[in-house]
Amino acid sequence: MKRLLLIFFLLLNLQADEKYTLGEGLQVGSLPFYLGGYISADYKKTEHETSYRLDDIALLAYGSYEKFSYLAELEFKEFYTYIDTGEETNIEKNRHLYTERVYADYTHDENFMFRFGKYSSNVGFWNLLPINVLRETTSSPVSVSILFPKFTTGMDASYTSFSDGELKINTTLQHNEGIDDGYNNYVVDKHYGFGISYEKDAYVFKFNSGYFHTKNFTDHDLFYALASVKYETDSVQILTEIGSQKDKDKFTTKYAGYVQGLYRFNEHHIGVLRAESYEHTIINQDDNMMIIGYTYRPLYPVAIKTEYQFHEVDDNNQLIFSFSVLF
Amino acid sequence: MLRVYISLLLLLSTTHIFSAEYVVIANKNMKDLSQMQIKAIFLKKLTIIDDTKMVPVSLGARDSLRENFEKNILKMNFQRLKSYWSKQHYLGHRPPLSMKSEESVKAFVKKVDGAIGYIEKSAIDNDIKILYEWKD
Repeated sequence: MKRLLLIFFLLLNLQADEKYTLGEGLQVGSLPFYLGGYISADYKKTEHETSYRLDDIALLAYGSYEKFSYLAELEFKEFYTYIDTGEETNIEKNRHLYTERVYADYTHDENFMFRFGKYSSNVGFWNLLPINVLRETTSSPVSVSILFPKFTTGMDASYTSFSDGELKINTTLQHNEGIDDGYNNYVVDKHYGFGISYEKDAYVFKFNSGYFHTKNFTDHDLFYALASVKYETDSVQILTEIGSQKDKDKFTTKYAGYVQGLYRFNEHHIGVLRAESYEHTIINQDDNMMIIGYTYRPLYPVAIKTEYQFHEVDDNNQLIFSFSVLF
Repeated sequence: MLRVYISLLLLLSTTHIFSAEYVVIANKNMKDLSQMQIKAIFLKKLTIIDDTKMVPVSLGARDSLRENFEKNILKMNFQRLKSYWSKQHYLGHRPPLSMKSEESVKAFVKKVDGAIGYIEKSAIDNDIKILYEWKD
């Protein structure tokens, strides 16, 4: 941690003349090298326990040169956690520095792009912007963490065309062990995926399907499909994703999905309502829930959020507060 | 009654005369682009055309022409763009360069292959290519 901070502050001294804007990182010297990062802390209260976490401390580095660009993200997850169950308290510290993403892009021409390395799987909308400060609820929908691998280590090839709308087709290929798979939701050594999206005016439609091999539960071949729709204007966003997962014989997740609406009252105040439902066969669990939330952004890259989750299973009702900053 | 009609006609023609016209401009070597492609270039979704790197240039953050361009071409308001560029920062992309004046935009576009900007139509000359025009 000390070494990471030292490198960060050394690089800050090489800052370019460009004016720094919070949430947009800064350039190091005049190099194709930008630095940024984010932090996130939260408080959660359920019927059984109260917890405080310093969850994410992450550093981003990226840049581009001609047709090439790169990005690296190193992160401490659940850096400090304090849990009080009423009967006992527990403090957990995780000092492992994870390689969250590390990849290089090659833009061949106006249509084709190739990505190599470890990246957020290009599935749906939510999974591409998974960090606290960029979303409007502290929690993420369950569907994002049970249907497909959040991260892929391999290659992604995409074709994009801009005519009346934006059409994008991508294929994902992983046929190797993942990089730093410690907290990926699935430890995978194979992932083949396909996605297609179309954006026109305020609407984006997206469909993903794929196969992956995981050793999480048992040695498993799993197939997934996810359909996503987003409608967005300056004041309103409606987002829905619904999918399913199966192995060769049966559904492992019959369905998992959510519908989320958010309203921007003005540039600082945002209200959110999300309905979720899932039926997970492997762990024999299903739930329906409603999440109501409010976000205050004094500046866009700073988010102070609260949400309350109403679960069909009353024991799971919870209150969450969080503070996060992108820098 | 006739006087009312004449006044109305005069008012309408005055409004027409004073409605400002704007243009998206590029280096002479740029090929023709659709509005959708222009939007994609300014959002850094389209970064290379015909082996040339695209270099979109904007005006200052609260410049009225910039707000007009963002509303009419990008179809996004200031706050939504702030949100967009914060998300792009997480994905490793930068917002367009900002220039202090329309004159700077014009000079930059003339010099740099792949450069693309926007100015008032009254400021154009023969050394730049007009890609798109819009009115207030």
